[in-house]
Amino acid sequence: DGLSDLESFLRQARQGRASFTQVVTPPRREGEAAPRSKTSSGSFEFLRPSRFRFHYLKPFEQQIVADGQTLWLFDADLNQVTARKQQEVLGNTPAALIATASDLKALSGLFTLANAPDADGQQWVLATPKSRDGQLQSVRLGFRQGQLATLEMLDGFGQRSVMQFGPLDTQAGLKPGHFAFQPPPGADLLRQ
Amino acid sequence: CASPPLAAPVTTGASEQASQGPWSGRLSLQVDSEPPQGFHAGFELLGNAQAGELRLYSPLGSALASARWSADSAWLLRGDEQRAYPDLATLTAALTGAALPVSELFQWLQGHPAQPPGWTVQLGPADGRMLARRLEPAPSATLRLILDRPQP
Repeated sequence: DGLSDLESFLRQARQGRASFTQVVTPPRREGEAAPRSKTSSGSFEFLRPSRFRFHYLKPFEQQIVADGQTLWLFDADLNQVTARKQQEVLGNTPAALIATASDLKALSGLFTLANAPDADGQQWVLATPKSRDGQLQSVRLGFRQGQLATLEMLDGFGQRSVMQFGPLDTQAGLKPGHFAFQPPPGADLLRQ
Repeated sequence: CASPPLAAPVTTGASEQASQGPWSGRLSLQVDSEPPQGFHAGFELLGNAQAGELRLYSPLGSALASARWSADSAWLLRGDEQRAYPDLATLTAALTGAALPVSELFQWLQGHPAQPPGWTVQLGPADGRMLARRLEPAPSATLRLILDRPQP
Protein backbone atom coordinates (compact mmCIF):
# COMPACT_ATOMS: atom_id res chain seq x y z
CA ASP A 1 0.00 0.00 0.00
CA GLY A 2 1.03 3.66 -0.18
CA LEU A 3 2.64 3.85 3.25
CA SER A 4 4.79 0.75 2.73
CA ASP A 5 5.85 2.09 -0.69
CA LEU A 6 6.79 5.40 0.90
CA GLU A 7 8.72 3.64 3.65
CA SER A 8 10.74 1.51 1.23
CA PHE A 9 11.23 4.53 -1.06
CA LEU A 10 12.73 6.54 1.84
CA ARG A 11 14.92 3.61 2.85
CA GLN A 12 16.06 2.36 -0.55
CA ALA A 13 16.21 5.48 -2.71
CA ARG A 14 19.09 7.23 -0.99
CA GLN A 15 19.59 9.30 -4.13
CA GLY A 16 17.78 9.73 -7.42
CA ARG A 17 17.30 11.67 -10.61
CA ALA A 18 14.13 11.99 -12.71
CA SER A 19 12.54 14.37 -15.17
CA PHE A 20 9.24 15.95 -14.11
CA THR A 21 6.25 17.76 -15.55
CA GLN A 22 4.23 20.01 -13.26
CA VAL A 23 0.69 21.31 -13.88
CA VAL A 24 -0.53 24.03 -11.52
CA THR A 25 -4.26 24.77 -11.55
CA PRO A 26 -5.61 27.70 -9.54
CA PRO A 27 -9.07 27.38 -7.99
CA ARG A 28 -11.88 28.48 -10.33
CA ARG A 29 -12.73 32.13 -9.85
CA GLU A 30 -16.30 33.32 -10.07
CA GLY A 31 -17.11 34.52 -13.56
CA GLU A 32 -14.37 32.35 -15.03
CA ALA A 33 -15.08 29.56 -17.50
CA ALA A 34 -12.23 27.17 -16.70
CA PRO A 35 -9.26 27.85 -14.48
CA ARG A 36 -6.06 28.51 -16.47
CA SER A 37 -3.49 25.86 -15.57
CA LYS A 38 0.23 26.37 -16.09
CA THR A 39 2.58 23.60 -17.18
CA SER A 40 6.31 23.55 -16.45
CA SER A 41 8.97 20.87 -16.70
CA GLY A 42 12.55 20.10 -15.73
CA SER A 43 14.66 17.68 -13.75
CA PHE A 44 14.61 16.66 -10.08
CA GLU A 45 17.61 15.24 -8.24
CA PHE A 46 18.17 14.38 -4.58
CA LEU A 47 20.73 12.90 -2.23
CA ARG A 48 19.50 12.07 1.24
CA PRO A 49 19.48 13.34 3.85
CA SER A 50 19.69 17.01 2.97
CA ARG A 51 20.35 17.76 -0.69
CA PHE A 52 18.10 18.18 -3.72
CA ARG A 53 17.62 20.25 -6.87
CA PHE A 54 14.50 21.16 -8.84
CA HIS A 55 15.80 22.50 -12.13
CA TYR A 56 12.92 24.01 -14.12
CA LEU A 57 13.71 24.48 -17.81
CA LYS A 58 10.33 25.31 -19.32
CA PRO A 59 8.61 27.78 -19.64
CA PHE A 60 11.47 29.60 -17.91
CA GLU A 61 14.70 28.57 -16.21
CA GLN A 62 14.62 28.42 -12.43
CA GLN A 63 16.63 26.38 -9.93
CA ILE A 64 15.75 25.46 -6.36
CA VAL A 65 18.84 23.86 -4.79
CA ALA A 66 19.34 22.56 -1.24
CA ASP A 67 23.07 22.03 -0.73
CA GLY A 68 22.79 20.77 2.86
CA GLN A 69 23.03 24.15 4.59
CA THR A 70 21.52 26.70 2.25
CA LEU A 71 18.40 26.68 0.09
CA TRP A 72 19.22 28.54 -3.12
CA LEU A 73 16.58 29.93 -5.48
CA PHE A 74 17.85 31.14 -8.85
CA ASP A 75 15.57 32.82 -11.40
CA ALA A 76 17.47 33.20 -14.68
CA ASP A 77 15.16 35.84 -16.21
CA LEU A 78 15.25 38.01 -13.12
CA ASN A 79 18.97 37.17 -12.78
CA GLN A 80 18.28 36.88 -9.08
CA VAL A 81 19.53 34.43 -6.44
CA THR A 82 17.85 34.16 -3.05
CA ALA A 83 19.69 32.24 -0.29
CA ARG A 84 18.07 31.07 2.92
CA LYS A 85 19.11 28.82 5.77
CA GLN A 86 17.82 25.40 4.86
CA GLN A 87 16.41 24.32 8.18
CA GLU A 88 14.48 27.55 8.53
CA VAL A 89 12.61 26.92 5.32
CA LEU A 90 12.30 23.23 4.54
CA GLY A 91 10.33 21.89 7.49
CA ASN A 92 7.03 20.68 6.14
CA THR A 93 7.49 21.42 2.45
CA PRO A 94 6.75 18.81 -0.20
CA ALA A 95 10.49 18.66 -0.94
CA ALA A 96 11.04 17.42 2.63
CA LEU A 97 8.54 14.65 1.98
CA ILE A 98 10.34 13.10 -0.94
CA ALA A 99 13.94 14.29 -0.78
CA THR A 100 15.23 15.06 2.65
CA ALA A 101 13.18 12.96 5.07
CA SER A 102 15.36 10.13 6.41
CA ASP A 103 12.56 7.76 7.39
CA LEU A 104 8.83 7.45 8.01
CA LYS A 105 9.21 8.21 11.70
CA ALA A 106 10.96 11.54 11.00
CA LEU A 107 8.32 12.36 8.43
CA SER A 108 5.42 11.60 10.74
CA GLY A 109 6.77 14.29 13.05
CA LEU A 110 5.97 16.86 10.33
CA PHE A 111 2.98 15.28 8.58
CA THR A 112 0.03 13.11 9.50
CA LEU A 113 0.50 10.20 7.07
CA ALA A 114 -2.29 7.94 5.90
CA ASN A 115 -3.02 5.54 3.07
CA ALA A 116 -5.30 6.92 0.36
CA PRO A 117 -7.34 4.85 -2.12
CA ASP A 118 -5.56 3.49 -5.22
CA ALA A 119 -6.09 5.62 -8.34
CA ASP A 120 -4.54 5.95 -11.82
CA GLY A 121 -2.75 2.67 -11.28
CA GLN A 122 -0.89 4.12 -8.28
CA GLN A 123 -0.81 3.55 -4.52
CA TRP A 124 -1.26 6.83 -2.65
CA VAL A 125 -0.26 8.42 0.64
CA LEU A 126 -2.04 11.48 2.01
CA ALA A 127 0.25 13.76 4.04
CA THR A 128 -1.32 16.56 6.03
CA PRO A 129 1.12 19.09 7.55
CA LYS A 130 1.00 19.15 11.33
CA SER A 131 2.01 22.81 11.60
CA ARG A 132 -1.01 24.98 10.89
CA ASP A 133 0.80 27.68 8.91
CA GLY A 134 -1.94 27.05 6.39
CA GLN A 135 0.24 27.39 3.31
CA LEU A 136 -0.24 23.75 2.42
CA GLN A 137 -3.55 21.98 2.99
CA SER A 138 -2.32 18.54 1.96
CA VAL A 139 0.16 16.63 -0.17
CA ARG A 140 -0.45 13.31 -1.91
CA LEU A 141 2.29 10.97 -3.06
CA GLY A 142 1.62 8.39 -5.75
CA PHE A 143 3.73 5.24 -6.26
CA ARG A 144 3.55 3.03 -9.36
CA GLN A 145 5.01 -0.45 -8.70
CA GLY A 146 6.81 1.02 -5.71
CA GLN A 147 8.41 3.85 -7.73
CA LEU A 148 7.62 7.50 -6.87
CA ALA A 149 5.40 8.68 -9.74
CA THR A 150 3.36 11.71 -8.56
CA LEU A 151 3.58 14.54 -6.04
CA GLU A 152 0.31 16.45 -5.65
CA MET A 153 0.05 19.59 -3.54
CA LEU A 154 -3.14 21.40 -2.48
CA ASP A 155 -2.36 24.80 -1.01
CA GLY A 156 -4.21 27.16 1.30
CA PHE A 157 -6.02 28.86 -1.63
CA GLY A 158 -7.23 25.60 -3.09
CA GLN A 159 -4.64 25.70 -5.85
CA ARG A 160 -3.62 22.22 -7.01
CA SER A 161 -0.15 21.40 -8.27
CA VAL A 162 0.47 17.96 -9.79
CA MET A 163 4.11 16.99 -10.41
CA GLN A 164 4.59 13.79 -12.39
CA PHE A 165 8.00 12.13 -12.45
CA GLY A 166 9.64 10.17 -15.23
CA PRO A 167 11.60 6.97 -14.46
CA LEU A 168 13.73 7.42 -11.34
CA ASP A 169 17.43 6.65 -11.79
CA THR A 170 18.79 5.77 -8.34
CA GLN A 171 22.24 4.75 -9.61
CA ALA A 172 23.29 8.14 -10.94
CA GLY A 173 26.29 8.33 -8.57
CA LEU A 174 25.32 11.78 -7.31
CA LYS A 175 27.88 13.22 -4.87
CA PRO A 176 27.32 16.08 -2.35
CA GLY A 177 29.43 18.35 -4.57
CA HIS A 178 26.87 17.90 -7.30
CA PHE A 179 24.48 20.00 -5.21
CA ALA A 180 26.87 22.88 -4.59
CA PHE A 181 25.34 26.05 -6.07
CA GLN A 182 27.46 28.93 -7.38
CA PRO A 183 25.49 32.15 -8.05
CA PRO A 184 26.22 33.05 -11.69
CA PRO A 185 28.43 36.14 -12.17
CA GLY A 186 26.39 39.34 -12.29
CA ALA A 187 23.33 37.82 -10.60
CA ASP A 188 21.90 39.74 -7.64
CA LEU A 189 22.28 37.77 -4.42
CA LEU A 190 19.67 38.24 -1.68
CA ARG A 191 20.30 36.63 1.70
CA GLN A 192 17.10 36.26 3.69
CA CYS B 1 -15.40 46.55 7.22
CA ALA B 2 -14.72 43.56 9.41
CA SER B 3 -13.93 40.93 6.88
CA PRO B 4 -11.84 40.88 3.69
CA PRO B 5 -13.66 41.56 0.44
CA LEU B 6 -14.36 38.39 -1.51
CA ALA B 7 -11.92 37.46 -4.25
CA ALA B 8 -12.14 40.42 -6.59
CA PRO B 9 -14.88 39.75 -9.11
CA VAL B 10 -13.30 39.08 -12.50
CA THR B 11 -15.75 41.23 -14.41
CA THR B 12 -15.30 44.64 -12.80
CA GLY B 13 -17.68 47.48 -13.84
CA ALA B 14 -16.95 49.19 -17.14
CA SER B 15 -15.73 52.78 -16.56
CA GLU B 16 -12.06 53.66 -16.45
CA GLN B 17 -11.36 51.23 -13.60
CA ALA B 18 -11.58 48.13 -15.69
CA SER B 19 -7.90 46.96 -15.64
CA GLN B 20 -9.00 43.36 -14.80
CA GLY B 21 -6.16 40.88 -15.64
CA PRO B 22 -5.30 38.37 -14.26
CA TRP B 23 -1.65 39.02 -14.99
CA SER B 24 0.78 36.43 -13.76
CA GLY B 25 4.54 36.37 -13.59
CA ARG B 26 7.40 36.73 -11.11
CA LEU B 27 8.58 39.70 -9.15
CA SER B 28 11.59 40.42 -7.01
CA LEU B 29 12.14 43.36 -4.70
CA GLN B 30 15.48 44.31 -3.18
CA VAL B 31 15.53 46.97 -0.45
CA ASP B 32 18.98 48.44 0.25
CA SER B 33 18.29 48.69 4.00
CA GLU B 34 20.72 47.58 6.68
CA PRO B 35 20.62 44.55 6.56
CA PRO B 36 19.31 44.45 2.99
CA GLN B 37 15.87 42.89 2.56
CA GLY B 38 14.79 40.75 -0.35
CA PHE B 39 11.46 39.47 -1.57
CA HIS B 40 11.01 37.10 -4.51
CA ALA B 41 7.83 35.31 -5.55
CA GLY B 42 5.55 34.30 -8.35
CA PHE B 43 2.42 36.44 -8.53
CA GLU B 44 -1.06 36.71 -9.98
CA LEU B 45 -2.63 40.18 -10.12
CA LEU B 46 -6.30 40.84 -10.76
CA GLY B 47 -8.74 43.76 -10.73
CA ASN B 48 -7.58 47.37 -10.56
CA ALA B 49 -6.19 49.91 -8.13
CA GLN B 50 -9.59 50.44 -6.52
CA ALA B 51 -10.49 46.77 -5.99
CA GLY B 52 -8.37 43.74 -6.70
CA GLU B 53 -6.22 40.89 -5.54
CA LEU B 54 -2.50 40.07 -5.58
CA ARG B 55 -1.59 36.44 -4.93
CA LEU B 56 2.00 35.44 -4.21
CA TYR B 57 3.38 31.96 -4.88
CA SER B 58 6.48 30.03 -3.91
CA PRO B 59 8.77 28.74 -6.65
CA LEU B 60 7.21 25.26 -6.32
CA GLY B 61 3.84 26.83 -7.01
CA SER B 62 2.19 26.77 -3.61
CA ALA B 63 0.50 29.93 -2.37
CA LEU B 64 2.36 32.15 0.09
CA ALA B 65 -0.06 34.98 0.71
CA SER B 66 -2.86 36.98 -0.86
CA ALA B 67 -3.56 40.70 -0.65
CA ARG B 68 -7.12 41.87 -1.33
CA TRP B 69 -8.20 45.47 -1.40
CA SER B 70 -11.22 47.61 -2.04
CA ALA B 71 -11.80 51.36 -1.81
CA ASP B 72 -11.74 51.42 1.97
CA SER B 73 -9.79 48.36 3.08
CA ALA B 74 -6.71 46.25 2.40
CA TRP B 75 -6.32 42.73 3.77
CA LEU B 76 -3.42 40.33 3.89
CA LEU B 77 -4.37 36.66 3.98
CA ARG B 78 -1.58 34.24 4.91
CA GLY B 79 -2.45 30.74 5.98
CA ASP B 80 -5.14 31.13 8.62
CA GLU B 81 -4.13 34.72 9.42
CA GLN B 82 -6.27 37.61 8.09
CA ARG B 83 -4.87 41.04 8.86
CA ALA B 84 -6.36 44.42 7.93
CA TYR B 85 -4.22 47.37 6.86
CA PRO B 86 -5.27 50.99 6.36
CA ASP B 87 -4.24 50.85 2.70
CA LEU B 88 -2.37 48.86 0.12
CA ALA B 89 0.86 50.85 0.53
CA THR B 90 1.21 49.89 4.21
CA LEU B 91 0.20 46.31 3.43
CA THR B 92 2.81 45.85 0.70
CA ALA B 93 5.44 47.57 2.84
CA ALA B 94 4.76 45.09 5.65
CA LEU B 95 4.79 42.14 3.25
CA THR B 96 7.76 42.93 1.00
CA GLY B 97 9.79 45.63 2.75
CA ALA B 98 8.73 48.53 0.50
CA ALA B 99 5.37 50.11 -0.34
CA LEU B 100 4.66 48.92 -3.87
CA PRO B 101 3.06 51.49 -6.22
CA VAL B 102 0.17 49.17 -7.14
CA SER B 103 -1.98 51.67 -9.07
CA GLU B 104 1.02 52.52 -11.28
CA LEU B 105 1.71 48.77 -11.55
CA PHE B 106 -1.66 48.31 -13.21
CA GLN B 107 -0.79 51.06 -15.70
CA TRP B 108 2.64 49.50 -16.39
CA LEU B 109 0.98 46.14 -17.01
CA GLN B 110 -1.05 47.83 -19.74
CA GLY B 111 2.12 49.29 -21.24
CA HIS B 112 1.69 52.92 -20.03
CA PRO B 113 4.84 53.69 -18.03
CA ALA B 114 3.55 55.83 -15.15
CA GLN B 115 6.18 57.42 -12.89
CA PRO B 116 5.07 57.19 -9.27
CA PRO B 117 6.71 59.76 -6.97
CA GLY B 118 10.22 58.62 -5.98
CA TRP B 119 10.42 55.79 -8.53
CA THR B 120 11.96 55.63 -11.99
CA VAL B 121 10.53 52.98 -14.28
CA GLN B 122 11.91 51.18 -17.30
CA LEU B 123 9.69 48.92 -19.38
CA GLY B 124 11.41 46.27 -21.47
CA PRO B 125 13.93 45.38 -22.89
CA ALA B 126 11.75 42.46 -24.00
CA ASP B 127 8.01 42.93 -23.60
CA GLY B 128 6.52 41.90 -20.30
CA ARG B 129 9.59 43.02 -18.36
CA MET B 130 9.86 45.94 -16.00
CA LEU B 131 12.54 47.40 -13.79
CA ALA B 132 11.66 50.08 -11.25
CA ARG B 133 14.11 51.88 -8.93
CA ARG B 134 12.91 53.75 -5.86
CA LEU B 135 15.20 56.63 -4.94
CA GLU B 136 13.08 58.18 -2.23
CA PRO B 137 12.07 57.65 0.44
CA ALA B 138 15.28 55.95 1.47
CA PRO B 139 16.39 53.24 1.60
CA SER B 140 16.59 52.79 -2.16
CA ALA B 141 14.83 49.72 -3.61
CA THR B 142 14.73 47.82 -6.90
CA LEU B 143 11.60 46.12 -8.16
CA ARG B 144 11.92 43.66 -11.06
CA LEU B 145 8.87 42.14 -12.66
CA ILE B 146 8.48 39.65 -15.49
CA LEU B 147 5.14 38.70 -16.99
CA ASP B 148 4.65 35.06 -17.92
CA ARG B 149 4.40 34.69 -21.67
CA PRO B 150 0.79 33.64 -22.32
CA GLN B 151 0.82 29.84 -22.52
CA PRO B 152 -0.40 28.44 -25.88
